Amino acid sequence: MNNGLAGTTLRVNLTTGEIKRFPTDEKLFRRWHGGRGVIAKLLYDEVPRNADPFGPENIFIVNVGIMSGCYIPSGSKTEFGSISPLTNGHGDSNMGGHLGPMLKFAGYDMLIFTGISPKPVFLYIDNDTVELRDAAKYWGIGSLDCEEQLKKDLGEDFEIATIGPAGENGVLFSCITHDFGRQAGRTGQGTVMGSKKLKAIAVRGNRSILVHDLEALKKQVAEIIQRTKKHPNMEPWQKYGTSFFIRWSNDNAVLPAYNFKTTYYEDVGKIDGDQLIEHCLITHKACFGCWMNCGKYTKAVVEGRPVVHLEGPEYETAATCGSNLGMKDINHVAYINWMMDNLGMDSMSGGGVTAFAMECFEKGFITKEDLEGYTLKWGSLDDVEHFLDMVVHKRGIGEWFAGGSKRAAEKIGKGSEKFAMQVKGQEMSGYDGRWAPGMLLSYMTADIGAHHNRSWTITVDMAEGRESVEGRAKIVVYLQHIRPLFDTWCICRLFWGELDISPEEIVESLNHITGWGITVDEALRTSEMIWNLTRCHYLERNRDIGRVFDYPPARSWEEKIPSGPGKGKGVTKEQVEKMLDEYYEARGWDENGNPTREVLVDLELDFAADNLEKIGFLGKPIPGGVPPIRGEKYKPKAF
Amino acid sequence: MRIKVNRDNCTGCRLCLQICAIEHFSEINPKKAALRIEAKFPDPGKFRPFICTQCGKCAEVCPEDAIYQNEVGGYIVDKEKCTNCGDCIVACPMDVICQHPDLGYVIKCDFCMECTKVCNTNALVEWERKPTAKETEARNE
Amino acid sequence: MVIYLKAGSKLRERLKPDIDYYTRRIETEEGKTIKEILADIGINPALVAFVYTSGKVKGLHYIPSDGQSITLQPPVAGG
Repeated sequence: MNNGLAGTTLRVNLTTGEIKRFPTDEKLFRRWHGGRGVIAKLLYDEVPRNADPFGPENIFIVNVGIMSGCYIPSGSKTEFGSISPLTNGHGDSNMGGHLGPMLKFAGYDMLIFTGISPKPVFLYIDNDTVELRDAAKYWGIGSLDCEEQLKKDLGEDFEIATIGPAGENGVLFSCITHDFGRQAGRTGQGTVMGSKKLKAIAVRGNRSILVHDLEALKKQVAEIIQRTKKHPNMEPWQKYGTSFFIRWSNDNAVLPAYNFKTTYYEDVGKIDGDQLIEHCLITHKACFGCWMNCGKYTKAVVEGRPVVHLEGPEYETAATCGSNLGMKDINHVAYINWMMDNLGMDSMSGGGVTAFAMECFEKGFITKEDLEGYTLKWGSLDDVEHFLDMVVHKRGIGEWFAGGSKRAAEKIGKGSEKFAMQVKGQEMSGYDGRWAPGMLLSYMTADIGAHHNRSWTITVDMAEGRESVEGRAKIVVYLQHIRPLFDTWCICRLFWGELDISPEEIVESLNHITGWGITVDEALRTSEMIWNLTRCHYLERNRDIGRVFDYPPARSWEEKIPSGPGKGKGVTKEQVEKMLDEYYEARGWDENGNPTREVLVDLELDFAADNLEKIGFLGKPIPGGVPPIRGEKYKPKAF
Repeated sequence: MRIKVNRDNCTGCRLCLQICAIEHFSEINPKKAALRIEAKFPDPGKFRPFICTQCGKCAEVCPEDAIYQNEVGGYIVDKEKCTNCGDCIVACPMDVICQHPDLGYVIKCDFCMECTKVCNTNALVEWERKPTAKETEARNE
Repeated sequence: MVIYLKAGSKLRERLKPDIDYYTRRIETEEGKTIKEILADIGINPALVAFVYTSGKVKGLHYIPSDGQSITLQPPVAGG
C-alpha cells in the first residue's frame, strides 16, 4: 500500500487466545482518518451499550493512524481507545514516543483486543510472529520496571508499552506507559488493559512504510526543517519544554493551587522550569521524528529515598502534582511524578484525586484513622506516598479514591462533590477555568471529560476578554474540531501551535502520504463527524439529556478566586448557562445538548440519529435550522 | 570532510535513521539505515549515536573486494560484487554496517551527509577537519 | 537605545517584524522593563510567557540593554 498504512489489522481474542490477521480497512481509514476517528467508529459499532467497561465485551484498540511513522514533523503518536471506565463513554488517549511507528514497521496499523485473558499475558510482536506470552513474571511490578525487564528479556530494540499495579488493580485512572516516561494517561486506558489481563505490548519490526509521494514529502519536510531551525522559539522549546509555563500560568491566575481553591501559588518559584533544568535534568528526549525535543529526562533526588529516573514533570504534572498539592520542592514533584508513572496512574487525574483527598482531610471529612495513622497535608511527600499506596492497593478508603474524585465524593458526601474537580468523572488538567470562561467551557464539553487537549483557550480568553463569554462558544467548537484532528492523524499538536506550521501545510503532508487530495475544511468536517458520534455514544450509554453531563463542579462557578492576581474573579452561573446555550446552538444541538437529526444527517450520521431517536434522546428540531458551518475559524482580535 | 558526533546532544528522535533510508531506498524504514542510536534507559538515561568513521576496516576484510574508497574518502559497497557474507559487519568497530532481509548486500554509510542536514541538535554535524601543520606543509610543497 | 524583539507564531503578527521575518527593531528608553516596552508597542504582556535572551530565560520584568536581541515566548497551547 502506498498510502502510509502498513496494511494489516490484528484482532486478538484474549479469552481464547486466538489472533486473526485482516487487511486494514482502507475505506474505514479514509472516512474516519485513523486514530481517534477509527476508534470512535469501532467503539460505537462493536461495544454493546450496556457492556461493562471492565467486561469482556469492551474492546481495547491500539491505532497508529495515518501519519505516525511517516517522516513528518513529530509523527510519533499512538492512539488507544476503549469505553472509559472513568466516564462510561467513548474513551481515547494518546502518547508519543516510538511505539506507534514501530508497530507500523512491524506491519500493523491497528490492534483490536477483545475478551479477557484467563491469566496475565503480554502481546509479543516481531514482524509476522505475533504471540500472547505468559506475563506472570511481570504482573505486579511497576510500569517502568516492567519495561526495563522486558527490554532485558526480549532485546533493547523492542518498543514496549506497559501498565503498572494501578491498572492491574482496577484503579480507574490508570495509564499506559512507554519509553520510560511517555504516557497515554487519560480516560483510564491502562485500567481497561489491566481488566483484560494484558500487562504489556512489545513490538519490533523492520518493514518499510510506503507513501503516496515520498519525493514531495521529503521536499516539504526539508523546507519545514530549514524554516523551523530559524524559528526564534525553537531554542527555548528545546531547552525547556513545557515546564517553564508554570510561572506564567501563576502570573495570569490560571494555575490551580490547593485543589483549585485558588489560582495563585506563592511558592511557584520552587516548582518552576528553571528549578527542573537546574536540579533534575539528565538529557533532552524526543519522540520519533521530532526535532523540537520537549521531553526532559530527569532524576529526582529526595533524601532517604532512592534516586529515581523519569521523564518530566512537564507542565501538566508540575501543576496537578505540584501547586495543586502544595509541593514546595521540584524534586518532590518529580518524585511524585515518578511514583505515579511507575504505579501506572495518570498524573493529571492522580494529582487531582490526591488534591481532593487533601482538601477532604483538611476539612475533616477523612481522618488520620481512615489513613492508617497518616495525615494528608498539603506539601507532604510522605503523606502522598502513603496515600497513593492505599489507592493503588485499594486499601480502606483507598478504594473510594481509586474510582476518581467523582466516585469518592459520592462515598464521602458532606457536600464534597462541590470541590471534586472533574467533569463526567475525569479530573481537570492543569488550568483553572474560573477566570478563563472559554477554558471552563472546553472542560465542560470535552467528550472525554475535563481534558485540555480538545480545546485550550486561555490566550483566547485573555485576548477576547476574561470577564465576557460572548462568542466564546464558537471558538471552542472550532478548536474542538481542529485540535482532535492531530489525535486522529496521530501526530503531535505542538508543532502547529508553537512553530508556525499551518493546518494547510499539515494537510498537504497528509495528502503526500495518502494521495487523498483533501482540504483543511474537509478534515474539519471529519473531525465534526467524530465529535458528534462520540456525543451520541455518550448519550446512548448514559441515557440522560446532554446538558446534565456538561456542568462543571460547583467550585468552578460558585466560588470566586480568593487570592492573587485573579482575586475576586470568577464566572457566574448565568454566564455558564449562557455559554452552554451558545455552544449547543453553534453545534446544531438542541437546548438540552442533544444532537438534532438535521445536523447528524448533514454529517452522514443517520444511523446515530436513528439510535438516539429509539431511546428518546434525539434533539428536538431547532426552529431556525442548524448553522451551515459549525465552529467559526478563530481569527484572534487582539492577540 | 567528516561527520562529527556530539553525542551528548542526541535526543533520540531517529530523524537521521529515517532520512538515511529515504535517501538510499526511497522507503521509510529506520532498519535500513547505515547508522544507529544506542539508548541507555532508564539509567543513566543517555542517547549515543554511532556513525561510520570511514576507517576502511570493512574494505580490508572484504573477501570479494566489494568495498572501495571514493574520491571524498568514503568507503562504498559495490552492490553487484557484495555477496552479503557479513565479514565486514563483524569487522566494523562501530557496528554500523547491517543486513536487511529485503537486500542481497550490506547497508553501509556512503558519506552522503543527509543525516547531518536533518539533525536539529547538532549531534551530527558536517565538519571540515582543519589540516595539521604537517599536512599544510606537505600541500604547499 | 535600540533593542531587537523576535517573535514567532501568533505573536509575530502582532509584533509586525521589520528587520527580517521574525525581528523588529525598537527604539526605547534605557531602564524600561520588557513588560513596559511591550505595552508601549501595543502587545498585551499577558500573551508573552517569558523572554529568552543569550540562552537564558528571563521574566517580563527584565530590563534589556542597548543592542540586545530578545525572543518573546508565547505560552504553550496545551500539550
